Amino acid sequence: PERSRAGQAARVALHYLNYRQGSPSALRALGQVRKATLKAIPGIGHKYYLQFTTEDYKSSQDVGTCLATVLYLKRKPRPAVNINCTYTKDQKQTREDDYSFYKKMRQQTKSIIGNEIPDNDGNIEPDLEPVWALAVAGSSYIMWEKSTENLGYFMAQVKNVKQWITKDDSTDFDYTVILHEIPTQEMISCHLRVIWIPGHPLKVKYFCLSENQSSESGEGSGIESGSTTGIFNEKEANF
Amino acid sequence: MRGLLVFAALLATAASRETFVGNQVLRIVAADEADVEKVKELEELQDLQLDFWQEPGSPEVPIDVRVPFASLQAVKAFLEFNRIRYSILIDDVQMLVDEEATQMIRHHFMPQTLETFNYASYHTLEEIYEFMDLLVEANPNLVSKIQIGNTYEGRPIYVLKFSTGGTKRPAIWLDTGIHSREWITQASGVLFAKKILDGYGQDPSLTSILDKLDIFLEIVTNPDGFAFTHTKNRMWRKTRSVRAGSSCIGVDPNRNWDAGFGGAGSSSNPCSETYRGPFAHSESEVKAIVDFVKSHGNIKAFISIHSYTQLLLYPYGYTRTQAADHQELDQIAKAAVTALSSLYGTSYRYGSIITAIYQASGGTIDWTYNQGIKYSFTFELRDTGRYGFLLPANQIIPTAEETWLALMTIMEYTRDHPY
Repeated sequence: PERSRAGQAARVALHYLNYRQGSPSALRALGQVRKATLKAIPGIGHKYYLQFTTEDYKSSQDVGTCLATVLYLKRKPRPAVNINCTYTKDQKQTREDDYSFYKKMRQQTKSIIGNEIPDNDGNIEPDLEPVWALAVAGSSYIMWEKSTENLGYFMAQVKNVKQWITKDDSTDFDYTVILHEIPTQEMISCHLRVIWIPGHPLKVKYFCLSENQSSESGEGSGIESGSTTGIFNEKEANF
Repeated sequence: MRGLLVFAALLATAASRETFVGNQVLRIVAADEADVEKVKELEELQDLQLDFWQEPGSPEVPIDVRVPFASLQAVKAFLEFNRIRYSILIDDVQMLVDEEATQMIRHHFMPQTLETFNYASYHTLEEIYEFMDLLVEANPNLVSKIQIGNTYEGRPIYVLKFSTGGTKRPAIWLDTGIHSREWITQASGVLFAKKILDGYGQDPSLTSILDKLDIFLEIVTNPDGFAFTHTKNRMWRKTRSVRAGSSCIGVDPNRNWDAGFGGAGSSSNPCSETYRGPFAHSESEVKAIVDFVKSHGNIKAFISIHSYTQLLLYPYGYTRTQAADHQELDQIAKAAVTALSSLYGTSYRYGSIITAIYQASGGTIDWTYNQGIKYSFTFELRDTGRYGFLLPANQIIPTAEETWLALMTIMEYTRDHPY
């Protein structure tokens, strides 16, 4: 497949991974696509077999390689993803980072609020950085759902965020995020609600409005099909 | 009350001051309602010319008041007499005012210089236009400013010309900011201009390029859009042209060129971000460049700069047919990308537009290539999606520096392969 398509498919696999991991400290970005094969499955769709490197979302340091399959189905809009990755970042550290962010949010008596993260000049206040990262994790659900073989997404900005102070164990955030859609170049505004407890699947609700006024909404609770671990049934040769 | 009147009388002749020299700001803490009442009495005395920054209200809540120099002694004596606690919040108001004014003057009224210009931050249209004038002033023998047209909203469109002489020498064209939200590109354009100014006579390769060719650099290719990203919508991409029959504004200037115009890879919907426009070259920003290129007739390399996704691209975008020179262009791209990544390890992919990103019709370099400008390239600068259009300002200089190496590779090749 063309390298642009392979890259797009790899990104979809990472949206799925970032959503399923539900960890703001362990977000990954695409490094390089090392291998890509495309299989057309008649009547079903196109299946990409990918091998790619990943980088830490914040620091850009190399954090491991992934093998993934991405099946763009003709019927259901949401691509089916299987992904298996090595992880070279210290998992204990990311768990601790997640937990200290979680604790800080649980201790808030006044709601955290924020606007334009990053701002026009690309700045992110250090205190709000994990709040932004959580938005990336939540937006990853939206971007995974919306991705097709022809449409890809990046999270461009958190337009605003407001925390809900909860009585239970969860942290709860209301976001407006702007997604950048390729190749249409449209900026899509989505209302995103993220409920998070470290170590638990992310709970996501969203409602998106695009410039031409069509809207889409969805909900995710971490039980969607797909896999991030487990035995791979695919032949070695496919990769 | 009597004591107060005595004090007030002493100040009856206090003249009103135009400056704040000697003024202090006192913070008064009223312990109880009685204290609050006393301070309110003070407020009644117009001759003291007290300026309350924080009005008297409830006890314990600080009351801040600016006291003119002439009234200071009286006010302090009054407060002390009535045993009302206070402290000096600001010792000399004029000093603060002077400092703030100096800052403002420094930023707004004192002329910028090329040395004080902050290359590591994003700038407004006015600031970049001012920079361009400073550049010309610094070396008018090398640099001149040409107006190639006007925008839809009537702003001048400027191109910098770097030339060591001759008449219509073969030339290299660079443009940044055609899509206004791609701020890293205009910011890099500013740095490229500075590098050309500084490099002539210093850098042997650049000097030899300028001894043979001219360089044209259009830093803000979409001034209306750029102004809009500063004032109203940071994510604005298109021009700001208005058309009858639609409430939507703007045309995608990189779908408006007469190369595969109207084909797949652009939109006919005025509300779309990739709206091609009513006809090719409908946008004055595009027409200005078209007219310039045609009348110049001797441009040998054309490089149009965008962001993001880190790519170096050559024609075509509108068709899968390979450009006749695709092999040569691919070699140049490979060398340029290698040079770029040598600085910080930033990795770029390269290829034709249609294979490396997606089909796009009416694109700039497809048109310039079809005009016979063989070395036509488009860059997509940093990053790969983390910050996207909102690239942190601390990446401006590294991005411009690494991109410059790629540009030099292309310019050197152009110099060494005349056609």
